[in-house]
Amino acid sequence: MVRTNQGPRPIHWAFVAPRRPPLPEKTKPLTRSELEPSPARNHQAFHPIDALVLERLKHEGVKPAREADRATLLRRLALDLTGLPPAPAEIEGFLRDTGTDAYDKLVERLLSSPHFGERWGRHWLDVSRYADSNGYSIDAPRSIWPYRDWVIQAMNRDLPFDQFTVWQLAGDLVDTNSLPAGTYPFEPLIATGFHRNTQINQEGGIDPEQFRVESVLDRVNTTATAWLGITLACAQCHDHKYDPFTQRDYYRFFAFFNSTIDDGHGKSRPEGTLELPNRPGHPAHPTTTLVLRELPAPRETRVFVKGDFTRPAERVTPGLPAALSGSLPDTSSITPGGGDPARQLTRLDLARWLVGPNQPLTARVIVNRLWQEYFGRGLVETENDFGSQGTPPSHPQLLDWLACELMNPTTPAAGEAKTNLVPWSLKHLHRLIVTSATYRQSSRQRPELTSIDPANRLLARQRRLRLDAEIVRDVALAASGLLDQTVGGPSVFPPQPDGVMNLGQSHREWKASTGPDRHRRGLYTFFWRATPYPSLTVFDAADGFSSCTRRLRSNTPLQALTLLNDEAFHECARALAARLLREEPRDETRRLELAFRLCLSRQPDRAERRRLLTLLREEGKTGSASDAWTAIARVVLNLDETITRE
Amino acid sequence: MNLPAPAPDSNPLLSQTRRQFFGRCGLGLGSIALGSLLQGAHATASAGPADAFANPMAARRPRLAARAKNVIYLFMAGGPSQLELFDYKPRLVELNGQPIPASYIEGKRFAFMDSSHGTKLLGTRRRFQRHGQCGRWVSEMFPHTAGIVDDVTFVTTCATNLFNHAPAKLFMNTGSGQFGRPSMGAWVTYGLGSEAEDLPGFVVLQSGPRGPRGGAVNWGSGFLPTSFQGVPLRGTGQPILNIASPAGVSAARQRSALDAIRDLNLHRLVETGDPEIATRIAAYEMAYRMQSSAPELIDLSGESEATLRLYGVERPRPSFARNCLLARRLIERGVRFVQLYHTNWDSHGGPGENLQGDFEKICREVDQGQAALVHDLKARGLLDDTLVIWGGEFGRTPMGENRDTTGRNHHIDAFTMWFAGGGVPAGTLIGETDELGFRPAVDRCHVHDLHATLLHLLGLDHEKLTFRFQGRDFRFTDVHGDLIRKLIA
Repeated sequence: MVRTNQGPRPIHWAFVAPRRPPLPEKTKPLTRSELEPSPARNHQAFHPIDALVLERLKHEGVKPAREADRATLLRRLALDLTGLPPAPAEIEGFLRDTGTDAYDKLVERLLSSPHFGERWGRHWLDVSRYADSNGYSIDAPRSIWPYRDWVIQAMNRDLPFDQFTVWQLAGDLVDTNSLPAGTYPFEPLIATGFHRNTQINQEGGIDPEQFRVESVLDRVNTTATAWLGITLACAQCHDHKYDPFTQRDYYRFFAFFNSTIDDGHGKSRPEGTLELPNRPGHPAHPTTTLVLRELPAPRETRVFVKGDFTRPAERVTPGLPAALSGSLPDTSSITPGGGDPARQLTRLDLARWLVGPNQPLTARVIVNRLWQEYFGRGLVETENDFGSQGTPPSHPQLLDWLACELMNPTTPAAGEAKTNLVPWSLKHLHRLIVTSATYRQSSRQRPELTSIDPANRLLARQRRLRLDAEIVRDVALAASGLLDQTVGGPSVFPPQPDGVMNLGQSHREWKASTGPDRHRRGLYTFFWRATPYPSLTVFDAADGFSSCTRRLRSNTPLQALTLLNDEAFHECARALAARLLREEPRDETRRLELAFRLCLSRQPDRAERRRLLTLLREEGKTGSASDAWTAIARVVLNLDETITRE
Repeated sequence: MNLPAPAPDSNPLLSQTRRQFFGRCGLGLGSIALGSLLQGAHATASAGPADAFANPMAARRPRLAARAKNVIYLFMAGGPSQLELFDYKPRLVELNGQPIPASYIEGKRFAFMDSSHGTKLLGTRRRFQRHGQCGRWVSEMFPHTAGIVDDVTFVTTCATNLFNHAPAKLFMNTGSGQFGRPSMGAWVTYGLGSEAEDLPGFVVLQSGPRGPRGGAVNWGSGFLPTSFQGVPLRGTGQPILNIASPAGVSAARQRSALDAIRDLNLHRLVETGDPEIATRIAAYEMAYRMQSSAPELIDLSGESEATLRLYGVERPRPSFARNCLLARRLIERGVRFVQLYHTNWDSHGGPGENLQGDFEKICREVDQGQAALVHDLKARGLLDDTLVIWGGEFGRTPMGENRDTTGRNHHIDAFTMWFAGGGVPAGTLIGETDELGFRPAVDRCHVHDLHATLLHLLGLDHEKLTFRFQGRDFRFTDVHGDLIRKLIA
């Protein structure tokens, strides 16, 4: 019990470590054979996710939806795992593969695609507030893309999330002599770029200390949001009003981050720049990236009265929030002076505690965010507030089961061997979720549920989700055949409308690339904080100012103008038309079918075919075949379905 | 825009749509089905702040009696010197060159503390005169503005928290120096929607040598849906990004493409029952209307010579004056919130920023247009419903700053803003600064108080207009803000 002025009250559920719940009766952990897909692999299979979802549905008297058709499943899975639509050959291969393991093989192939890391790395880049410029008023460009590439590669090779965490928060403090075999020696340092994604204020006349403190506050708040899902920021000025975090807790947390080198506020260049060995083929341009470094001696940390850095009060040392359980793993080997109980805790201790035993929040917060991406809503809807003011989980047992499975995996998904299960493997979780029947349901609205469950909290169907900003672009590029699939490298400059760059204080140049970089995936587009790439912003891309744990999905006229008229998208329409004419030189109907296959991974139905042929006739009266087919391509690229995961 | 009941089989409207789709396919679905769909959607738009399931921009009636319906905010980016314009301080002129008494600045922080910040008082060299029935002091820098003082309330005791440009602009626009909060225009359109059927509800215009510091965050929607963020509009060329159809696509071809997109989307709507598709269909129709309404908006050929002369618009150059005229045209078309940024008021004394010729230049750039806007709105009967706001992110110090020439540093304790129309008193002065113009002597009006009052004038209660984010109901005024009663007529 936590003692408060009002007397004892029960500890909030999320502050108690999760314990693996028993699965519902008649449901055992799945075995390989039980997961063999049948033509109607459905909620009968004893998949733990399905068992727990089904239990709730049964309780409410609601039946799950039937499985989506195979073409829909293929496109859904490809977009969810790689952010790219399946190529025509992949569609054909999958639809032809009638084997019982066709779906599982598809899951494996997509999970091992180099594009998996681009798709899921982008989510983490939202959380890490990644951008390519320093922000504030000057908004000078910065080089931190090696951090972005590191995130992509970490996702691709399934770097366990605990390792992923420790390097990002304290990669400058880990012992480089005891890195796992095959680790690139700079890797832990590059990973600390996570907390160099703070803005740097290079405006004249500032007090650099004020903005150094701002950066530290941002690191505290971001860490609390990203790993703990708590609103610790509320305790900057006063004790948290609803959750058991005191202002003193806040500044003890602050102390972990208060002893890094300056960022370069008020200076012309950022500090803490790591020069990396030249990239092959680019000897003239050394690659640099921003990293964290600890000062030789720690700064003193004091509580700021009302959060105001000009009013320092009581002195504090680094410490973990008292209200959260969990324990520090043995730290004797990690730093000089380790093992001494009087030793001051470091960022490395904090990082290890975040992914350590019995810490109640991190695993829940992480699995909840993965779930949110697949279903459009987390099991805890307030993905950034697991405190007492957040919404309680819709499926508390499922949340805890997944959290425990992340930390201590015991249940192989289809295609996994039990002996290969690794703690904190995110791919294991992805595999579990996408092989569930819950994930594979149809997203069609169910009239009988509109009054019972309008928001689909019961998960009695899947949900249509408008694609993320970058993927809206990626789909158009992939369908038209323009996409350059290169993974990683410096950020690039695709065409954007004139007049964007003079919206900020400094007129920055935007010279659209004319080479292959013109058609790279959306996540590689150079992101200026003050003058962000408009077609990303208009589709709700993260702004890079603060940690973004969930993107909104707006639906606006400016999105329509972008897809209809933006040069980059029109280029895709022209290229798609040329591709249709090239690949199906003779038959109009087959050409239409190809357009649908490329954009929607399915065949047009009779009505759709007729409607488009009508448009083709109208267009053909006045223009060339190329113009007429560009019109068709524009229409298909603009369909709601094209920018939606069904 | 959403359908009330997204049920493909039980909803007669959708069954009808389905029949029409199949019945009329190939001819292009007429506007009848779409019209009835959208009517259904309108019926669901309720009063009160937008929720995620209604058309976010549907016009809504406020809960309180509104004094103003629209806002035009003339943002003087960089921080104009109140001491050269409105806050007349003869005593400061007498004490020119004297050190400021230590009691004023002890323990205080300023920008440029380590370099050019100065502590010697600087009296203005500008002549001031009383103007209008109300006898308001205005300097010779603003001859046109001197002519509207009887329609204006001046507040000389505005105060803010932050003394660097980007954070202070953010604070003035969002009520917080932290990034991620919605801007004023976003809050207002969240609360009230917009009457404009074919233009965005929140429009931003810019003039001057550069954009405002911080860029898009100043008109961002923060944690509110992006439907509420300001849309930058340019007074010449392409008024809105991507507003023109691609080269070679005529209006007729654009329309036939849109018809096909609409028909196929409707078909999908019937298949899936997803109301988001209805919203998208409506968004495409709005986009199409914007393609003709936005160019029409910036086409000033229908404005009389007299009007153009009133504003001082010289065709076809972009300018603050032109933006003032566009602001009136936007308000006439039902746009809820128009924000004009004009740079650069940052009169430190350095090159391009001195209090001599550079200051005279920027005063000339805004004076005639802003006065004309108030005159014109009044003459057209629009001023009663439209609140005009004028001001920067902060003001300037009574002490000189030592650069190439003597300028003034950023000052947050007392600076002047003015308000006209929309339920504020006419010909009034609120507040009085001390003899040096350093601090408010009476009636300090903090930015949070201004925000609370602004919302009140629009019929919105600043304590009740909330948005739930990260487990907390956020307000524009956070936990602050007292109504400035004197600012309410």
